[in-house]
Amino acid sequence: MSEPILDLHNLRKTFGALTATDDVSLTLHPGEIHALIGPNGAGKSTLIKLISGELRPDSGTIRFEGQAIDRLGPAARARLGLARSFQVSAVIPGFTVLENVMLAVQGASGASFRFLRPALRDRALTEPAQFHIAHVGMGTRAHMPAADLSHGERRRLEIAMALALRPRAFLLDEPMAGMGTEGARDLTAILSELRTEAPILLVEHDMDAVFALADRISVLVYGRIIATGTVAEIRASEAVRAAYLGDAA
Amino acid sequence: MTREAALNAALFVALIGTALVAQALGEGFIITLATKAAIFALAGVGLNLVLGYGGLVSFGHAAFFGLGGYATGILASHAMSGVPVATLPFTLNGSTEMLAIWPLAIAASGLAALAIGALSLRTSGVYFIMVTLAFAQMIYYLAISWPAYGGEDGLSFYVRNTFPGLNTFDPIQFFAICAGLLAAALGLVAVLTRSRFGLALRAARQNESRVVAVGIRPYSIRLLAFMLSGMIVGLAGSLYADLNRFVSPAMLSWHMSGEIMVFVILGGVGRLFGPVAGALAYIALEHLLGGVSDYWQALLGLLLLAIVIYAPGGLIGLIAGRRHV
Repeated sequence: MSEPILDLHNLRKTFGALTATDDVSLTLHPGEIHALIGPNGAGKSTLIKLISGELRPDSGTIRFEGQAIDRLGPAARARLGLARSFQVSAVIPGFTVLENVMLAVQGASGASFRFLRPALRDRALTEPAQFHIAHVGMGTRAHMPAADLSHGERRRLEIAMALALRPRAFLLDEPMAGMGTEGARDLTAILSELRTEAPILLVEHDMDAVFALADRISVLVYGRIIATGTVAEIRASEAVRAAYLGDAA
Repeated sequence: MTREAALNAALFVALIGTALVAQALGEGFIITLATKAAIFALAGVGLNLVLGYGGLVSFGHAAFFGLGGYATGILASHAMSGVPVATLPFTLNGSTEMLAIWPLAIAASGLAALAIGALSLRTSGVYFIMVTLAFAQMIYYLAISWPAYGGEDGLSFYVRNTFPGLNTFDPIQFFAICAGLLAAALGLVAVLTRSRFGLALRAARQNESRVVAVGIRPYSIRLLAFMLSGMIVGLAGSLYADLNRFVSPAMLSWHMSGEIMVFVILGGVGRLFGPVAGALAYIALEHLLGGVSDYWQALLGLLLLAIVIYAPGGLIGLIAGRRHV
């Protein structure tokens, strides 16, 4: 297999007596969707936070495109091209869709200390932003305040913001959460396309989406990865069935 | 023109008009009140940059107001005595030239804001409020206990500083200077808050982690905003010192921080002309109600309470409606 974009090596994180991440090693390769599943409290969110830089591991290393990023903060990791979305929709509620995506374009450009030209008239921001908004099918919503969007639209906006970062890898934390069947189906189609932009590490509860999208699946239970494999392998695994799928499927 | 733009224009016309009518009627005191309103509005515009657009509740902006004032008073008093302010590392003589004093007042308050901001912006919420308050109080007590510049009694400099081509002793001409600087500051804040920098600053107020996730460090954005804010407030302090020809530790006290905050909240947090509306209303109330009762601030308190509860957009929001920020 090709060199991994993202390479977690023996990550460990404890909160007091609780081991939230227990010796986790995991890779994300170009062009793939690697799904991370596991029951509530398995430590999925902690792992995402370790990768995005919001939390620091007690031990272990994270390499991103061959470079150790352990010392970098979340903003620096985002600038390297590690784009994350949040479990709870995280947009700027008072901004329009366009302004939200412009902010992401601006972040990726690394040039926030510009003071004179109105951002809304800065074509280096507005044009890429419009492009990404159209990409997720939100072209008609560009001037609507994010606070007025439906849940599904807000999820799409987040994807547009992630795209605007011109990412080298996506970290998507439950993008389907709270979506109706139809919305989930639409988003599945968008995500499936996204993998050509950059590989995706996908944390998701919606098993239909995971089985439809994932090239590989890792199963996290009590902070430990108990199995990694293709959809078929995971479906067939006794250990996974016992630990997780047994009560879900 | 939107409703808010019309209201903004009307407010500025009201400020200028009051001074001009007072001039025509020979009411020097009213011109002084209008000048005071312009200076307070300028201070409010400075605070609004961090409080309104940045969502950072600084309870220490009196520090910058007072430093601007003291820079002015110290330079003026040294100019009168002929003794240099400092001889090391270079000779700094006193001055009575506003154009020489302003840059120093702005630099002093800007440097203080950089230092105070660098430390206090590592905290947030109520801790940020307390840390900014603590720094301002530190400077306040320093001013009280430093006898060279009047200590508790403050420092008088008797003669208003000069501006080339104008007679600053003429109230209307000094008002013109203050109103001109207020207009410049309003223009600056309008441009800043619409720029990329402003986009990041306003975004960080609403959702800090989202801003981090797109690769922008809110800390550096906020620190710059805090410094610019301190510089504008420092300039206001310099003008206030010239208005009274007197500076005292009261300019540095937490009452002053609170008062500047009142201008912003009364007028409308995060609205460009909010501080102008707030300062005008404050001065008008002080003048009208102050004649009725010494306890006029109790009424101001009630008004503030009503604004916070029923009209979070302040006077501007009340008249022009809410808008997306």
